[in-house]
Amino acid sequence: METILKVENICYSAEQKSFIGFTGEKKEILKNISFDLEKGKILGIAGESGSGKTTLAKLIAGIIKPSSGKIIINDQNRKTRINPVQILFQNNGEVLNPFREIEEVVEEAIRLRSRIKLKEEKEKIFNSVNFPGHLWKRKGFGLSGGEQQRAALARLLAVEPELLILDEPFSAQDPDSQINFLNLFKKINEEFGITLICISHNLKLLRLLANNIIIMYKGEIVETGSSDEIFSSPKHPYTKFLLRAENYDLKYEELKFEQ
Amino acid sequence: MFKAALNEIKIISKNEEKNLLSNIKFHLEPNQIFTILGKNGSGKSTLIRALTGLLDKRFYSVSGEVIFNGKNIFSMDQKSLLELRRDKIKYIFQDAVNSFDHLKKLKYYFNSFVKDRKEIEPLLEYFLLPKKEELFKLYPYEVSGGMAQRISFVLALLTHPQIIFLDEPTSGIDSAIANLFLLKMKEFVKRENNSIIIVMQDLLFAKKASDKIAYLSNGTLSEFQFPDKFFIANQKTFPAELLIEN
Repeated sequence: METILKVENICYSAEQKSFIGFTGEKKEILKNISFDLEKGKILGIAGESGSGKTTLAKLIAGIIKPSSGKIIINDQNRKTRINPVQILFQNNGEVLNPFREIEEVVEEAIRLRSRIKLKEEKEKIFNSVNFPGHLWKRKGFGLSGGEQQRAALARLLAVEPELLILDEPFSAQDPDSQINFLNLFKKINEEFGITLICISHNLKLLRLLANNIIIMYKGEIVETGSSDEIFSSPKHPYTKFLLRAENYDLKYEELKFEQ
Repeated sequence: MFKAALNEIKIISKNEEKNLLSNIKFHLEPNQIFTILGKNGSGKSTLIRALTGLLDKRFYSVSGEVIFNGKNIFSMDQKSLLELRRDKIKYIFQDAVNSFDHLKKLKYYFNSFVKDRKEIEPLLEYFLLPKKEELFKLYPYEVSGGMAQRISFVLALLTHPQIIFLDEPTSGIDSAIANLFLLKMKEFVKRENNSIIIVMQDLLFAKKASDKIAYLSNGTLSEFQFPDKFFIANQKTFPAELLIEN
């Protein structure tokens, strides 16, 4: 099997500003993160807020640089110079340009890599994310949350990423839309052959989506395994804690998780 | 104790009136947690705001009556309505950060509405919040969304209300913290004549927390049912995958 992503001993620390003054102290956000990802697979990353999930996504996409360690992306066959890693962010409403029509934004993105069959490409992309024609001329703010997410996804697919990172794509959605998006992501993975990383604190949905899952706690990977392994025989106490917390079964004494 | 019969909630824009919700009838029994489930945009938040006259009269018209402790909320004057919302019926809004005045430090809220100051410390500790000395110095924009939600809940509890409305209490917080909310809610409704109304989309939380659940769709509210019965009756409405336990 071909590996698309190799993360080797990544550490990342950032200067933290204190409330009162400007005296910052170094805070380690990620510690010794290593994993491989096979092409065409779906990887889930779970953990509480503040566990470093989004930081890891930004590192993989090259938005920020690690303090130490290496990230290798296998993109030898890529024809364009567009970043092979794209991120679907949480706040799509703010990401979409409020002055431009969705159709324009997506067309421009397609043109970055190809100028032929523009119309067919555009239709194919909009169809694949179920973004209906009557919304094409709208601007970002004229769309609902779910529609914004579909529009942003279309924009990302237009540049044909090798690896697509979804950052909390299920938050702020009703149960029906969560399942719809889940199926949409599976479809994108199969039809376009795009490798996916899905970051979510919702283990239940990750289980339905991902082949493998990484559990993060305070900047470290505490457990990795196939979705089935993580759910049927979790090993690390934190994984067990997360699974029980999601069932809303914890007693007060169990609530503070400290290692 | 709390009886709502809303004929119609309309939204008024220019010369048009559009019906949002109609024919909503329910009553709350004491010592219970009630949950209203519904999709995005079904009118959940509008409904709970309408119940205590929180909707802006320039844009909404509400007809019907809401009887609380024998009095019709809709025929109260502004002063009694404010007192009611200060002492008896509290809200925890989804956008908790912005339900505070950003120019006032958190200390202001703890000084203004609290019945018994001795309860502050234990409640802050319970909700894993910073100590009083640290927290009081902060402005609302300096805390995270999840923290603001917890602070909102603590403040509501400190005023000893009879009813608490919670709008999407689990969105934007970790499931461990959601467990904290659940435990505290159950404790709250055991006391006196207290009850809680939650509007949310989290099916499993609703199932675990509620004594009764109703569904808001197509502009009206279903009957409140016991959770087990409710999910059997609405099998086709909700994705079964989301009710499976880990």
